[in-house]
Amino acid sequence: MPQQDKQPISPDMMIGILKATMPFQVVSEPLLRRIAAIGWKTTFRAGDTLYEAGGPADDLFIVVAGKIDHELQPGVHARRPMKTLVEGDVFGWAALLEKVPNRLAKAVCTEDALVIRINGEELLKVLESDPNAGDVVMSRFATMITRDYTVPDLIAQLRGIHRKLHARDPQGMNVTLYRVSRWLKSPKPYLMLIGLSIFFGGWYLFVEVLRLPRFREMPGITTVVAEWMSPNPTYGLSIYTGEYYQHILVSIWRVTQAFFLATALGVPLGLFLGWSRKFKDLVFPVFETLRPIPILAWVPIAIVMFVATESAVIFLTFLASFFATALNTMLGVESIDESYVRAAYCLGSNERQVFLHVIVPGSLPFIFTGLQISVGVAWFSLVAAEMVSGQYGLGYVINTSYTTVKYPTIIIGMITLGAVGYVTSAMVRVAGDYMMQWRLRELAMGAN
Amino acid sequence: MSENHVPRPVVASGEIAVRGVSKSYGEAHLAREVVKDCDFTIERGKLTVMIGPSGCGKSTLIRLLAGFEMPDKGSILLDGQPITGPSRDRLVVFQETALFPWLTTWDNILYGPRARGEVTPQTLEFAEFLLNKVGLREFRHKYPTQLSGGMQRRAELARAMINNPQIMILDEPFRGLDAMTKELMWEYYANLYEESGRTNFFVTTDIDEAVFLADRMLIMTNIPTQVRAVIEVDVPRPRRLADMVTSDRANAVKMEALAILHEEAMKSFSRGSKAAADFVEAYARRSAKA
Repeated sequence: MPQQDKQPISPDMMIGILKATMPFQVVSEPLLRRIAAIGWKTTFRAGDTLYEAGGPADDLFIVVAGKIDHELQPGVHARRPMKTLVEGDVFGWAALLEKVPNRLAKAVCTEDALVIRINGEELLKVLESDPNAGDVVMSRFATMITRDYTVPDLIAQLRGIHRKLHARDPQGMNVTLYRVSRWLKSPKPYLMLIGLSIFFGGWYLFVEVLRLPRFREMPGITTVVAEWMSPNPTYGLSIYTGEYYQHILVSIWRVTQAFFLATALGVPLGLFLGWSRKFKDLVFPVFETLRPIPILAWVPIAIVMFVATESAVIFLTFLASFFATALNTMLGVESIDESYVRAAYCLGSNERQVFLHVIVPGSLPFIFTGLQISVGVAWFSLVAAEMVSGQYGLGYVINTSYTTVKYPTIIIGMITLGAVGYVTSAMVRVAGDYMMQWRLRELAMGAN
Repeated sequence: MSENHVPRPVVASGEIAVRGVSKSYGEAHLAREVVKDCDFTIERGKLTVMIGPSGCGKSTLIRLLAGFEMPDKGSILLDGQPITGPSRDRLVVFQETALFPWLTTWDNILYGPRARGEVTPQTLEFAEFLLNKVGLREFRHKYPTQLSGGMQRRAELARAMINNPQIMILDEPFRGLDAMTKELMWEYYANLYEESGRTNFFVTTDIDEAVFLADRMLIMTNIPTQVRAVIEVDVPRPRRLADMVTSDRANAVKMEALAILHEEAMKSFSRGSKAAADFVEAYARRSAKA
């Protein structure tokens, strides 16, 4: 093989060529760009031999111009061993096959040719980084070889590589872990830290350094942190006092009860609202009348209805969650593509089965969106309820600290509330991801 | 596993008779008649292809055959029995992929038997056989969105065939696939049909697809839909794409069908149908070559 120079090629030109080449036609732009980055161009004169059968299989070639004769050696059992390759054709794919370290064919240039060459191993690495797209490229290679040469053994091998690409494919709970590791590699967590620093830095600056007029009465961050971390807190509440945890636990327990009650009642109600036109006509007008009423407006009625304060607080916390869950579930049912329902009937399902096997799983993405909103509004309503009528809980802490002028404690209550609320929302999200692996994959594909 | 060892259910092929069927949509005075006095038979054990300009009411006919809608006039009989609703006897593979995105390939294929509570060891073996047959063994645990378009269509064919329907109805199943995948799918599908000998009814707008697949070709008129012509495609099976290109009989059928389609297209051309324009253009290209 004559030593030909590998010359660099502009990425845009390379992407254009890849887009016109069968195995790469459907690859996303970012991935194409990465493939383009490992490509070179080379020119051959008529009569040059690019490689002989048996030579090392290192690069993959794409013809840009000119003609190349490609002859598969007899041992390959190709139905059509001879082929003249022209613009857009790909050859030298032995470079992609691990079990075939050597060339399977002889390639001779018959008309001055410009070709692109890509190192097979480097290409495989790029494809491995995006298994789904890699899969498509490999299966298109297989299709191309079937069409152009009909070589059964090689196709089986390409399929083998497919499997390898997917060997590291995340499965089950791993998908969630995989996302965490992806997240750590992305700029997201670091931007998040910067955002938080700006917020807390601003607080420090405005209150304690600049002492801006609006912030004069506000406790500074150092005061709050000192109080929060103090074994002997001035105002009686810090991470060393049992009371602090009692307040947190009481609030969490109330939210948990309200959330599960709202889910247990809201999901079925939403499913039926979406499923039965008649049921919706009957119930929805009442539902839509009650839904916009703010929680605070419900407080007097709750106190009258429930003798025990605790039940009243849970009822108030429950209400907004219930509406959010039911409404989103209903939208979820209505969002289901009718073709799934038709297909299910066609396959012999009765109405009950369509409901259980199509309507319920199909609306899960919306249901979980609803549950995330639900957990958020549960905390929101809880604080309102605890402020009005409570014995313990974070809302109660904030309210009583205000009336007794314990300003740092207010802030401790607020930050704790934010943190606990965030954790519960995240838990619902993780549970949703775990139950809807299919959805996660769909979204991951869409993000490419 | 050898294919011969799989105990495959005996195929009971059905025959559908469409007799004087009409269907309109809309309120009485604004009604638009989509299908009018339509008469044809989907013969037992044959692959009947229905072709016509797009938007000509083929999908309406499919909904009627599937039993999702009832005709206003006339009757549709499966082996002499009127059709009353959707049933696994007449399985429809729709234009849009309707694989359940929340189920893996394997669970999608087994959906029908599970829904009917008919999962036996034989069913599982048959499912395994079909999974291999459509080349998706490696993709058993993948979700539909992880499959390519062609794979999704193949999975859907397997999901339909496991129910061993008396008749398979396919509504432009390969629409939207790229040209190469489409041709591979034709060979796949033709092979599945040849092996099962089941009654198949295939709707398309693609003349090459129609000629390659059909035993009988029904050419439809524009709205309101009626059968304009029936052509027997007596090209021997098994067929290969390469052979079809060089077959005189296949080419003659294609020209004959194109001539009729061209006439139909011209009729609606004045009404500004984009699809019709496509047909006219395609016909002009073929005529130039011939």
